[in-house]
Order: sequence, then structure tokens, then C-alpha cells
Amino acid sequence: MSVTIDSTRVGFRDGLIDLAEKRDDIVFVSTDSLKVVKGEPFLERWPERVLELGISEQNGVGVCAGLASSGLTPYICTYAGFLTMRACEQMRTFVGYPGLKVRFVGANGGLYGGNREGVSHQFIEDIGLLRTIPGFTVLCPADGDQVRQAIVASVDVDGPVYIRIGSGKEEKVFPTGTPFPLGKVRIMDEYGDDVALFANGFVLNRVSEAARILNERGIGATVVEVGTVKPLDTEGIKAVLAKTGCGVSIEDHTVIGGLGSAIAELIAEESPASLVRLGLQDTYGESGFPDELLDEYGMSVNDIASGAERAIHKKKQG
Amino acid sequence: MADIAYLEDCARHIRRDVVEMVYRTGDGHPSPSFSVADIIAALYFHCMRIDPDRPNWEDRDRFVLSKGHACPALYSALARKGYYSVDELTTLRYLHTNLQGHPYQPKTVGLDATTGSLGNGVSIGLGMALAGRIHHKDYRVYVVTGDGELGEGLIWEAAMGAGHLKVSNLTVIIDNNNYQSGGTVEEISGPYPIAEKWAAFGWDTQTVDGHDISKIIEAVEHARRVEDRPSVIIAKTTKGQGLSFMVGDNSWHKRVYTDEEYTQAMMELGGAT
Repeated sequence: MSVTIDSTRVGFRDGLIDLAEKRDDIVFVSTDSLKVVKGEPFLERWPERVLELGISEQNGVGVCAGLASSGLTPYICTYAGFLTMRACEQMRTFVGYPGLKVRFVGANGGLYGGNREGVSHQFIEDIGLLRTIPGFTVLCPADGDQVRQAIVASVDVDGPVYIRIGSGKEEKVFPTGTPFPLGKVRIMDEYGDDVALFANGFVLNRVSEAARILNERGIGATVVEVGTVKPLDTEGIKAVLAKTGCGVSIEDHTVIGGLGSAIAELIAEESPASLVRLGLQDTYGESGFPDELLDEYGMSVNDIASGAERAIHKKKQG
Repeated sequence: MADIAYLEDCARHIRRDVVEMVYRTGDGHPSPSFSVADIIAALYFHCMRIDPDRPNWEDRDRFVLSKGHACPALYSALARKGYYSVDELTTLRYLHTNLQGHPYQPKTVGLDATTGSLGNGVSIGLGMALAGRIHHKDYRVYVVTGDGELGEGLIWEAAMGAGHLKVSNLTVIIDNNNYQSGGTVEEISGPYPIAEKWAAFGWDTQTVDGHDISKIIEAVEHARRVEDRPSVIIAKTTKGQGLSFMVGDNSWHKRVYTDEEYTQAMMELGGAT
């Protein structure tokens, strides 16, 4: 199967260019991260709208708070953990709490995004951390063009927005130009109502492949992209679960706090169903190639298919 | 020309309000509010270009109280400047108040920044100053930090960033009262020499008596004339300055006045008019 690469880093940059062509409030705040996202074309066109602060993420987030409180819409992009962990307090207290419109773009999301860099540069907790902070919108688009679409779609969202991106070697998932469904789930494949497969980000192609294999085995799966993890499209998810009665969450993230947790919370409170959560099982990753890592840490196509079978089995056991 | 007697009276009213607020609300940080009172009086009642009728005026000067625990002094200045009623001051820290225990910009009219956890104000002020540069505005940004707060690494990230970018519309004033929560800054964190550190990051530095309002104003006006770098003013202050029983007793970092202490404080600080 031929794979088309669609860099989420370039997608971010192109989304930013799309915005800057139309509005004068867009600022790119770099913590020596401009080149990470191949931002030179932005710098060439709008040098006065690039603020290079050097390697100082907490400072970068504080500066963004000051910029946003003065009417600008700053985008700060660097490695996901350097924002959501190192500058977590700044994101919470000085951006989230006053409800400022700062946009955070976290690179190297997941094992797939961090891949050969190893644990210090693989971020598997970013989404869980931000889900706990009131007022954040948390987005996990599937590929480069989806990041571009998400950047444009979320520019006027009130309060802070976090957008997860990867290493720049992501596979294409959706045709270029497909709108990002901000705040809504998206049904990607609908083979049947036996089981729902909830996923987002760079695992989606393998989830679709698992659904195809399940179909060959006589199991009808519905693949649901949950590109907005917060606020969660609870009605969209409940509508799917009402039909399937069981689901599998697949996320390149620890299973604690992220997409699987969000769905488990919904199931526990509002929509009884059985659930299997795939992702990192409370463990760190390691260096490796992206697909190899997903396979190693329980997110292979076979893992997803057998997870679906387990979910169906649990449903039948009642 | 600054009317120094008037500004000293403003500072006296700020100190009276701080006592009133801490006494009535039963909580807060009195002596850190006292050490910064003259600086806040000079800025809000003389130096800053502000208009209480237009709290969101784009061209206004901005103020960031990085040592957010001293907010009773700031809340007093904002009330007496006319952003809201002085009667509101004693709602400090009570449920549903507009005057949170530490500054929360969306709730308090006239406040420019949310602060409280130490070390963050210089970065926020730097962002505001850079926004002024982008918007071609001539407003200035003033940030007041503590001296114990200089232990936060983020202060120095911002110092390096502002120095590197030559952000000349940013002035940091350090309330150098020589104490932090747990003792003297020499004992606890060792920030000295302070001026040399900022100078090394490319800042214009001045050291003044932080209780001499005319000297504070002179320093702020000098900083305004520095066009190629940010400015820092090290204001030598005394924690609890203005009340005999607070000076030299660091337990007043966070402590509530008894009825007797309240009466004595109001006597020492003079009448309400």
C-alpha cells in the first residue's frame, strides 16, 4: 500500500499563513522553534509578526498572555511537553484562567510524533493534562491538511486552544481540503453496528484498516474520529454507542486521562456500554520507528481488531 | 511637577486601606503591601498614562503586579483612582468578590494582568510591551516584582528575552525589601548583586530609595528616556514601612491585625481625610 506523507508541522505553518493573509492579529511566538515547523516563509512575509524568544517556553507562554491581553492572537509552537508540562502552570493560570485567546501547537505528540527521539521528546500525556484545565479546547487532527483546517477553523474560539501535531512524517488520512469538524465527531467508516472504534490523530489509517479486516471476519465496525477531545461531542458519541453498545478507544497517548478516559467517563455517567481502551498502558515509550512503536505498544492493526472482539465479547456477557 | 505631598498622602491612604482590608477580611499579606505602597502611589497617581473612565483604552500604560500577594495595595490604588468604589475594598477574599486573593484581571476593573504565582509578571509585561511595538503604540509597561521572587528562573528567561529584543517600553521595578516569606533574601535565596545581573542581561539599571516618591518618579522618568533597552529600577524598601510594629517583624508577611493592632495602626497612619 502506498503511503502519502502530509506533514502536520507544515500544515500548521500553512494554516498560519492562511490566517495572516486575512488578518493582522496573528503572531507566531517561537522558542527557537521556527525552523521546527519550517516557518521561514512566514518569517519572510511577516517578520514583524514573528517573536523569537529563544529556548524559554515558560517565558514564551507568559509573553503570549501579554500579547493576547493586548488584542493579538498569538500562536506558540514547540514540542508538546515543553508547553504542556514545563509551562503547564503558565498555560493554566495566566492563559486558561483569564480566558485569553492563545493558541498552543504541540509537536511530537505521541509515540508516533516523538518516535526515534525517545521518551524526553515523546509526549503521551499532553491531552490528559489539558483536559483537566478548565476552558481549554483540545484538538487532535489527523494529518497535515487537517491541522491546517483546524488552525483556521479554531482561530476565533474563545479562550485557549491546543492543537497536537507530530514530527512532520504523518500519513495522509483525509483528502486535501476536507474541513476539520471542530467540536464534532466524524464517522469515517460504517461497516455495521457491532462495535465502535473511537480514535484520533495519526492512528486513524490503522484503525480504518482494522475495521476492514473485522468486516472480513463478519464484524461490522463504525470508525469514529474524535478530533476534538475537549469539549467532547457527547451527543455524537452517545448516538454511536446507542447503536453499537460497545467501543474501543485507540489513542497514541497514555490511556489515563485522554480520549479513552473521556469516553469512559461518558459511558459511566450517561451511556452504558462496554469499552476497551488501547494506548499506552501506564508506561513510557522508547526510541523506534513510528509504526514500529505503535505496534509494540498495543496499537497494531491486530491489537485494534482483537480489542474490538473483546469489546463485543464484554457486551455479550452483559 | 509632581505634587509630592499629595502623592505621599495617596500612599498613606493606600496603607490605611491595606490595614482596613486585612483587618476586615481576616486574611492577606500586609507588610509586602506596605513596602510597595509608595511605588504604586507614584505610578498610579503620577507616572502612568491611564484613564479610569476607559479601563481598556488601547493607549494606556499597563501595570503588572508580579508579586501578586501585595494586591491589597493595588486594589486600594484602583479604587481611589476611581475604577470602582472604595466600599468594595473590604470584600477582598470573600466569596463572589471582584477582589480575588491574588489579582484576576477579568473580575477587577482597571487591572491589566492576572498574577499571583511568583516569577511570571516580567514575561506577561514583556508580551504587552511587544504588542505595543507591533501595534506602533507608545504606551509603557510597568512590572513590579519582589526580591525573593528573583529566585524564579522564569524571571531570568524574561530578562534575557527583553534584553535581547531591546524592549525599551518595559520597566521593571523590584521591591527590594530584603525579605521573603521565610526570612531575609540573603538567608533564603541569595539574589545579590541584583543590579549587576540585570545589567548583564542588557538592562538599564537604577537603584533608588523606594519610599522617596520624588526619587521613584525621577527613576521612572529616566527609564522613559532610555530608548535602546529595557529598564530596571531597584527600589530599596522596608517591609512594613509606615507602621512601627510591622517593621523588622517578618511575621507580618501574612498576618491579621488584632483589634488593638488595628487601632494602633489607624492612629499611626493618621486620619481618613
